[in-house]
Amino acid sequence: MGEPASPLAVTEDLKKVKKPKKQRKPRNGFKYFFRRCREQKELVWMSAPFLIWLFIFRYLPLGGWVMAFQDYRPARGFFDSEWAGLKHFRFLFSDQRFMEVMRNTLAMSIINLVLGFVTAITLAVLLNELRNVKFKRIVQTISYMPHFLSWVVVAGLVSSALAMEDGIVNILLMNIGLIDEPIMFLGVGEYFWGIIGASDVWKSVGWNSIIYLAAITMIDQEQYEAAEIDGASRLQRIRYITLPGIRSVVIILMIMNIGYILESGFEAQYLLRNPMNMDYAENLDIFVLRYGISMANFSLATAAGMFKTVVSFIFLFSANSIAKKLGEARLF
Amino acid sequence: MVKKKSFLLLVLLSLLMVFVACGSEDDTTTDSNDTSENSDNNSGEEANDLEPVTYHYFIGVAGSDLHTNETELGALFEEQTGVNFQVEYLVGDLMEKLGVMVAGGSYPDVIVPDHGIEMLLDAGAFIPLNDLLEEHGPNILEMYGDYIDRFTMTDGNIYYIPFGPTINEFMPNPNIDQGAFWIQRGILKEYGFPEVNTLDEYFDIIKRYADENPQIDGMNTIPFTGLTYDTSFFTFSNVPNHLAGYPNDGSVMVDMETHEASVYGDSEYAKRYLQALNELNAEGYLDREMFVMNNDDYLAKLSSGRVLGFFDYGWQWGQARIAIEDMDDPDKEYMALPITFDESIEDQYIDPPAFTQNRGVGISVDAENPERIIQFFDNLVKEENQRLVMWGREGEHYTVDEDGMFYQTEEQMAIVEDQDFRDDFGMTTFEWDWPRINGTFSDGNAVEARRQPAVALQNYDEDDLEYLEAYGIETFSELFAQPQDRPWYPAWSTNVPQGSEPAIFAERSEEILKRHYPRIVLADPADFEDEWNDFVSNYRALDVEAYEAFFTRSVQERLKGNWQFE
Amino acid sequence: MGVFKKLVGRRRGVDDLIFDTVNIILMLILIVIMLYPMLNTLAISFNVSTDSVRGGIHIWPREFTTFNYEHVFTEATILRAGLTSVLRTVIGTALGVFASAMVAYTISRPHFFMKKFVTLAFVLTMYMNAGLIPSYLLHRELGLVGSFWVYILPTLIGVFNIIIIRSFIEGLPETLFESARIDGAGEFTQFFKIALPLSLPVIATVSLFVAVAQWNQWFDVFIYNSSIPELSTLQYELMKVLSNSNAAYGSGAGAADQFARSASGQIETVTPQSVRAAMTIVVSVPIICVYPFLQKYFVKGLTIGGVKG
Repeated sequence: MGEPASPLAVTEDLKKVKKPKKQRKPRNGFKYFFRRCREQKELVWMSAPFLIWLFIFRYLPLGGWVMAFQDYRPARGFFDSEWAGLKHFRFLFSDQRFMEVMRNTLAMSIINLVLGFVTAITLAVLLNELRNVKFKRIVQTISYMPHFLSWVVVAGLVSSALAMEDGIVNILLMNIGLIDEPIMFLGVGEYFWGIIGASDVWKSVGWNSIIYLAAITMIDQEQYEAAEIDGASRLQRIRYITLPGIRSVVIILMIMNIGYILESGFEAQYLLRNPMNMDYAENLDIFVLRYGISMANFSLATAAGMFKTVVSFIFLFSANSIAKKLGEARLF
Repeated sequence: MVKKKSFLLLVLLSLLMVFVACGSEDDTTTDSNDTSENSDNNSGEEANDLEPVTYHYFIGVAGSDLHTNETELGALFEEQTGVNFQVEYLVGDLMEKLGVMVAGGSYPDVIVPDHGIEMLLDAGAFIPLNDLLEEHGPNILEMYGDYIDRFTMTDGNIYYIPFGPTINEFMPNPNIDQGAFWIQRGILKEYGFPEVNTLDEYFDIIKRYADENPQIDGMNTIPFTGLTYDTSFFTFSNVPNHLAGYPNDGSVMVDMETHEASVYGDSEYAKRYLQALNELNAEGYLDREMFVMNNDDYLAKLSSGRVLGFFDYGWQWGQARIAIEDMDDPDKEYMALPITFDESIEDQYIDPPAFTQNRGVGISVDAENPERIIQFFDNLVKEENQRLVMWGREGEHYTVDEDGMFYQTEEQMAIVEDQDFRDDFGMTTFEWDWPRINGTFSDGNAVEARRQPAVALQNYDEDDLEYLEAYGIETFSELFAQPQDRPWYPAWSTNVPQGSEPAIFAERSEEILKRHYPRIVLADPADFEDEWNDFVSNYRALDVEAYEAFFTRSVQERLKGNWQFE
Repeated sequence: MGVFKKLVGRRRGVDDLIFDTVNIILMLILIVIMLYPMLNTLAISFNVSTDSVRGGIHIWPREFTTFNYEHVFTEATILRAGLTSVLRTVIGTALGVFASAMVAYTISRPHFFMKKFVTLAFVLTMYMNAGLIPSYLLHRELGLVGSFWVYILPTLIGVFNIIIIRSFIEGLPETLFESARIDGAGEFTQFFKIALPLSLPVIATVSLFVAVAQWNQWFDVFIYNSSIPELSTLQYELMKVLSNSNAAYGSGAGAADQFARSASGQIETVTPQSVRAAMTIVVSVPIICVYPFLQKYFVKGLTIGGVKG
């Protein structure tokens, strides 16, 4: 806040003074690189082994992407499989259902993204406002329990909660008087995205809030005490201290998740879809499973993976540069 | 420069560390894994060598892993042949598992690749068995007899051995474990055990009972429902085929005279069935959640005892069947009916003798001394050993009457029905996924105990007998017609290359059926025609003719005796 | 009322009271909604499976049995598999969190000249998937197939975790590091003495994430080590039980026999639903128990955080 931050300011000044001297030396080229390595050899030592790990385990296998342009058969390997050019990409993009699949993917992904963030942050903030530590711990522990249930179990519970005759949702709505006739929730395609979004929140809101709770613990307690003395209300404290305190974490997580724009989930949709809602349920991953993996067409699966990567990069870099322009925390 | 070198050194060192760390670990584990095989395989030269050896047997379906010699029968067979198997069953996705196996080029010794067999054949993962069978498999050759042509590939080689050739005489199952229209049998009793053979009769009697009993045990009656969830959708889309008097040949029906295969998805039969359901729905007799519920919901409904009728394959609703039997209300149990569109159609619900020639067990290129495995298989398919696998030991698990026919006493039945016994004895292990026979033994007894009429009769209780007597039959399958001669059956076992046009057609057509069938059924009867036409135009946009031609060719080649062709 | 007072604690005015009351009511509703699935699973796991098929079980078993657990635990290998699970969780978490923290530290240093390069190199991999077969071939070349280390090395560093830890270290006051540097501390010292201890809450969080991921993993066992019983894990053994019970009721010859056998109806049997429930409880209870231990680090972090200003 308004406190004097003299030590920081001083060092900033020192840096500014030092810099001009260095600029005479070349800023690129091997010589410069090795000079910097020498200067920061400890940091280099700390990161180099993991960069090597990264190269081996994450970049090396990307050579396998070549199979997207082949009719890859495991029996032949990468070197003897027939070349197929853009065949698999064409199959993917020219399918009459591709647009529908993309629409479903994006819709569910965006709904999950927005709902996921809002609910997890809200839960973390509310948990933080609980004064009784024991109660807080109990609530928190219970809140993330559904995370440990598999989607099969959760989908079963969702399906029985939405049943027409004895489903709790229909019973509640009928008793409140909102509806006169039970609704066949899973039989109406238009409801599907909402059902997925709500189930996803149910399953993961507690788990997702953990990270924000950890972030909140890093906020300086003195700020709260000072605010209390100034007579700030609870909501004001949330608004002016807690939320700004976790802002950078939220933004970084958001940028990362925007990169996952085509990952709308798989199991929930797979388990809850049925002939009546399939036009709204099928997303990219289900499509790829049906025409790729379960037909041993690994090439198509790879082509779809590459497509996802391209889209991810576009969204990731856009989100990051928007954050940069707005002066927010950014990913890189 | 020194610094530059040290940086390079660092890179090299860390690389080395990674490799050493994993490399050393790998050596030790592979060694320990291989010892059992290496030490045992030294002297496999002689044909009748009984030197103990353990092979790795991978089965592409689920089961519980074991060593065969941990079972009583496995131990006996090891004594006879010296061969033991470490059996590994599948846990995750078959295609992924086989995909890495083939890509990596290292295989278990013996593989049952289930529906992934094309990939292994393509990879040349299996060794030709012709010479081995000639030399070490006299019993296999005898038992499989004429069937051998069916799995001899176009290059003249045999790469895998399918399961269950029918030898001697075909034995139909006394109970219905295949598709049928099921009815809560109390309804039949209520109306004096009428004959119910046509779809109209079936729906009429159900409607009448539903009108008279709107509630059962305090719950709303569900007159008719069915399973449509996910991969079980065929349970719904196959029905028109059965009503028209055809067995389950897949998504085609094969004309008995011309032997042409044709899809029935948009046939008059399909339209007729959907129209019947459409009317049923309009009158409020169809389960509204038929197209929404998942497998668990479906089973829960059946188990509640308030469903009057449904179509299903016997093996899909076993859990509900047990639950109903537990209710101790014998009239709530279900009975299978051979429903067709009209009296003139002979039902074909019971499978003809089937031989699934595109599944089987093969020996991989990585197996050492493959003749030992063939010797084990050969020993296994001997009649005396098949009898042990299917029936157990005489006196202990079954009794022979004066005519030489096998039956089970009540105590014996209790023993062999116990799952723990079946596991420990080895019945569970060897009854499928290993070379085996079907039909009857040379003494006339059924190979499978459950197909022996005496065993089925023994299983019926008082209440079952009441129904059987009322209809004047001895077993429940007697209501059904005997299967006609269909030498190509089942057409669906045609080797369809992965990712080929027919495979993609199958996926697309199922998608269209899934989207349109529910709409047609649930439509206002006035819109029925429009919905149907909409569906047909979508369906015919696919290359239906090519798909039909593919199966027609397969059927006709099979009739000529060519089960493998290109 | 006494309990309520205890929950609300000391308060300072009507606004606060309203806020706390609403908050507590919300949290109580949350408890009900979130506890239900777990209790339901628990009830089904203790209910006779053929009865569960009928549905309608809520939070209390209708026909009590422990048979589902007996079935899950029949395999003698399950203890050994549990040990492997614990090993991979402990080793994987320790190494993984340490590695992630180290990388996170380097890219949190504003003066590190490769900061942007390293960050980007890691971040991009989050969105690139080589696919199963290329990864398998690589791991085979590295000799990881059939080895315990295939559980540890390929998933050593989670990029997500790096970024989380980084943003926390960046949130620490730079003055702490400055003064340490003036005292002659190198980067390693700053990492071990300042960055690590001060970011304990996030380290605890990340440890939880990694531990749960390791504990729940079964796919790598399936792909790489399924033929080696010694390297099986608890989660994989349970997947076996589950897929086996699925198959018993699925298609194929086994099912036909199951059907025939069920005719007498006397045998106690399991259904996929019941096995799944028992399995869920067996697998999740140990890992749920881990969290309360980590919770105390949250509080610790809190006090250190208070001092740091």
